[in-house]
Amino acid sequence: MRRTRTALLATVAAGALVLTACSSGGGGGNSTTENKDAKVKQSKSAQQLAGQITFGDDAASKGPAEPVPGATPGGTMNVLERDSYTHLDPGQIYVSNEGQLATLIHRGLTTYKLDNAGKYTVVGDLATNSGEQSDGGKTWTYHLKDGIKFQDGTPITSKDIRWSVERLFAPFITNGPAYLQQWLANTAGTDYRKLLPDGPYKGAHLPDTLLSTPDAKTIVFHFPKPQTDTPYLFAMPGYSVVDSAKDTKQAYDKAPVASGPYMIKNFDQGKSMTLVKNPNWDPNTDSARHQYVDTFAITFNHQAEDSTKRLMSDSGENQTSVSFDNAVDTDNTPKVVGDPAIYKRTVAGYQPFVGQIDFNMKRLTDFDVRKALALAIPTKAVYQALGAEYGAEYAGGFLSPSLAGYQKADPLGKAANPNGDAAAAKKILTDAGKLNTKITYAYVNTTAGQQYSVTIATALKAAGFDVQRKELPSDTYYDLIGKVDNQYDIYASAWGADWPSASTVIPPVFDGRTIADQAPNYAHVNDAHINSEIDRIEALTDPAAAQKAWFDLNTYIVTKVIPGVPTVYYKQLQLFGSKVGGAVYNNMFSAIDATKLFVKQ
Amino acid sequence: MTSSTETTLAGPPGEPGQIADSGTAAPAELAGRSPGQLMWQRFKRDRTGVISAYVVGFFFLVGIFAPVISKLYGKDPYTLYGTNEPGLLNDFGYPIAPNGGMSSRFWFGIEPNLGRDVFMQLVYGIRTSLSIAVAVTLAVTATAIVMGVTAGYVGGKTDYFIGRVTDLLMALPAQLFFVAVMPVVTAVFVSPVDETPTYLRVVALISVQWFLGWMGLARLLRGQVLSLREREFIEAARVTGASSWRIVRRELLPNLVTPILVQSTLMLPAFVTAEAGLSFLGVGLIEPTPDWGRMFARGAEVYQNDLTYMFFPGIAMVVFIVAFNLLGDSVRDAFDPKAAR
Repeated sequence: MRRTRTALLATVAAGALVLTACSSGGGGGNSTTENKDAKVKQSKSAQQLAGQITFGDDAASKGPAEPVPGATPGGTMNVLERDSYTHLDPGQIYVSNEGQLATLIHRGLTTYKLDNAGKYTVVGDLATNSGEQSDGGKTWTYHLKDGIKFQDGTPITSKDIRWSVERLFAPFITNGPAYLQQWLANTAGTDYRKLLPDGPYKGAHLPDTLLSTPDAKTIVFHFPKPQTDTPYLFAMPGYSVVDSAKDTKQAYDKAPVASGPYMIKNFDQGKSMTLVKNPNWDPNTDSARHQYVDTFAITFNHQAEDSTKRLMSDSGENQTSVSFDNAVDTDNTPKVVGDPAIYKRTVAGYQPFVGQIDFNMKRLTDFDVRKALALAIPTKAVYQALGAEYGAEYAGGFLSPSLAGYQKADPLGKAANPNGDAAAAKKILTDAGKLNTKITYAYVNTTAGQQYSVTIATALKAAGFDVQRKELPSDTYYDLIGKVDNQYDIYASAWGADWPSASTVIPPVFDGRTIADQAPNYAHVNDAHINSEIDRIEALTDPAAAQKAWFDLNTYIVTKVIPGVPTVYYKQLQLFGSKVGGAVYNNMFSAIDATKLFVKQ
Repeated sequence: MTSSTETTLAGPPGEPGQIADSGTAAPAELAGRSPGQLMWQRFKRDRTGVISAYVVGFFFLVGIFAPVISKLYGKDPYTLYGTNEPGLLNDFGYPIAPNGGMSSRFWFGIEPNLGRDVFMQLVYGIRTSLSIAVAVTLAVTATAIVMGVTAGYVGGKTDYFIGRVTDLLMALPAQLFFVAVMPVVTAVFVSPVDETPTYLRVVALISVQWFLGWMGLARLLRGQVLSLREREFIEAARVTGASSWRIVRRELLPNLVTPILVQSTLMLPAFVTAEAGLSFLGVGLIEPTPDWGRMFARGAEVYQNDLTYMFFPGIAMVVFIVAFNLLGDSVRDAFDPKAAR
C-alpha cells in the first residue's frame, strides 16, 4: 500500500538567487567520460536480484550471522537523517525510514538475511525458521528460538507474539500495515477491526481457530484462505514483537521496548536519537544482524543535499557518517559518480517503486488508442530527472526488479526506445481511424512536472493525438486522480511493493473488483482474465510457480490490456564516509543495510 | 499672452514686422515653453536617464520583434533540440558542451532536460513578461486615475467609500492572494477535460495583478486632487460655470501628469518582477509558454550543474529592472528638479 510522491517529480526549488559569478557552470560532460565502475556496480546490483529469494529453513535461520569481512567492533557512527521518526511502536511502523530503524531495534517472527554473496533469504528471526505451512497454506506454525529476550532481559514468549498481533486491532493502531489483520478477519478495508474491537486490552482474545499458542514457544496461525506469502508478511517491521507486560498503548510509540541488537538511549523528537547496544540481544539467536558499532548518533533535518555534501567532503566526523535513508540528491549525482574517489564510497540498488502513466480505462475504451499511447509516450525525461541510471531504470513492465523471480522483459519496447515511437503510434491510430483522438493529460504542477508534460504532449501530438494538458496542484494530485469518475485520460502514478512478491503489486493495482475512490487501481482496469488469474495465482502454494505466473500475468497486462505504460523502476544511490565499513545496499529495505555497518579503526 | 502685449506696448514705434524680427531672438528663448518641453530638456541632460531609456527601449524592441529575431536566428522557443538530436544532452539531461552548451549554433546554450534554445526562450520570455507588465500598468493607471480623482474631487460619502475599499484591498497580502486565486480563476472558466488556453491565463494574471495594484497610485492622486481643488484656478473655472467633467479634464489632469508618469514608470518593473515571481511559484504561465520567471525557477533547480542557464535570464532581469528604475528616477528629477535626491 505504498505510493511515492517522488513519482510526481516534485522536486522543491531552492531559493532563487542570481549568481553573477563567472559562468563556469554547465558542461555536463560527455557520457563517454562517465565513470565506468558506476555502470558495473549498477548492473551488478541488478544481477544479484535475478536469483530467487528463498524461504530459509532451520539451518539458515540459526545464529550467529555470517561475519562481515574486516569488521571491527566499537566506535560511534553518525547518522544523517532527513526525517525524524514519528512512530517507534512496531504496530505503527510502515514508512521506510522507520522500517530501517526497526531493523536495529525490533525483531519479528521472520526477517531478510542478506549474505556476503549478495543472496537474500527470508529466515526465521524470533522463530526457528521462516514458517511451516500446512493445510494448503492456510495454517502456519512458528516455534520460537531459545535465548530471545527484550532489552530488560525478559524472555520473549508466544504470549508476546499473540499480544503483538491482537493489539493491531486496537483503535489507536492506525499507521501500520493491515495485511495480517485482513487475512485473519478475511475482509478488505478496515472492517477487520470488528474482529477484536478493543484489541487485547479488555480481556478479549482472538479465538484459537484463528491464532493459537499451545505452549510458550509455539504460535499457529489459521488463515481462512491460503496465504503463501506469510514468511514475507512477518518480515515487515510493522509485525515486530511488542512486550506484553510493558505495553503502554499510545505511549509505546515514543518509548518502545527493544528486542533487536540496539536500544534507544535517548530520543529528542525532531532533533536527535542515540542508539546503544542492547546487552540482552544474543548474537547466537540472530542469523541476520550484527552489533559492531557501539553507538549510533542519529541527527535529523538533513536534506538530501546537505547529507550528500557532508559525505562528499569526507572531513572530520563526516568520515564516520552515513545516512540510512537519504539518497544522493539528483543535482549532486553527476559529481558523485564522476569522481572515482567519491564514487567508491557509494552503494546502489532498487527502491520498490515503479512509475507508470495510467490510462483511464473508463474513458479510453479503445484498445488501439491505448496501444498507440503506450508506444508514443517518452520516458526519457523522468529517467533524467531522477538522476539517470543512478536513480532510475527504464521499465519494461509493472513488476520491479526488486521482486522475487524477476524476469527482464520489454514486450512493448519501452526500455529500448525511451523517446517513444511516434511513427508506430501514428500508424496504429491511422489504421484504426482514430487520428486526433482527444486525450486529457493530467500532470502535477511543479516545474519538473511541467517539463515532463511538455515532452509527453509533444510526443503525443507527433503521434496524432489532440492533447489537452491539465495541471493539477501537487498536494491534491493523488486525491484528484484517485476519483473513479475523474475526467482525465492519462496521468502518472507510482506504486511500491510491500514485500518482494508481485502479490503486493498486481492485486491492489490491477484487480477490477477493488475499484473505488482513492483505491490504487488508478487506471480503473477491470479485466475478467486478470481477475480470475489473480484468484488462481493467490491460491498457488508453490512460491516459484506463483512467481512465474505473476510475471506471465504482467506480460499479459502490458501487451493485451494496456491499462497504462510503465516508465521507470526507481533506484537509489547512497553515499557513506570513508571510515564506514560493511556498507551494502539491501534491496529488501530499499536502503543501506544498517545491521552490517562497522566503524573502521 | 501677457508678455506679447507688453512687448508690443513697450516697443518703439515703427513697422510691426521689423520689431518682431529684431525682438524675437532673446524674449522667445524665455517664453513659450510648456512644462513638458522643460522636462524633456532637463531629461536630455541627464546621462544616466538617457542610457537607461535606451536600455529599456532595447528590451521593448526585443520583445516586440521576437518573431523577427526568431526568423533571423533560425530557431523557435518550442522545438526540443536536445531531445530530438542525440549528442547535445548527457544522460542526466545536462548540456554536454561547456558553458551550458553555448556554441555558434545555440548562442546562450541549451536548456537542461528539454533541450530548447535558451536565447529563444529568453527573447520570448521577455516578450511575454513585458506585454503582461505593460497591460497591467495601463489598466492599473487608468483605474487609479478614475478612483483617485473621483474620490478627491467628489469628496464626501464617495470619498469615504472609495477610501475604505482602498484600505481593504491594501490590507490583503498580495502575493498570497495571487497564489490562492490564480488556480480558481483558471478553473472557473475551463472545462475539466480541456487544456486551459494561454490567453485565459494571461487575462487572469493581468486581472489579479490589476485588482490589487491600483490602490497606491489612487491614494496619491486623491491627495493631489484634494489640494488642487481648493486652488484659485479651480475656483475660477467653477465660477465661470465650467462643468465638473471639464474641470477634471482641463484643469486637474494636466496637473496630475507628473505623479502619474513617475509612478507608472516605477510600477512597470515591479509588475515584471511580480509576474516572474508568480511563475517562479508555479501559479503564473506554465509550460510550454516561454516565461522569464519560470526560467529562474528552473535555473534555481539546476544551478549546481548548469550555472549558465540561470546566468542569462538573471543578468537580463537585473539589467532591465535597474535600468527601468533609474529611468523612473530620472523622469521624476526632470519633472521636479527641486525635489531633493
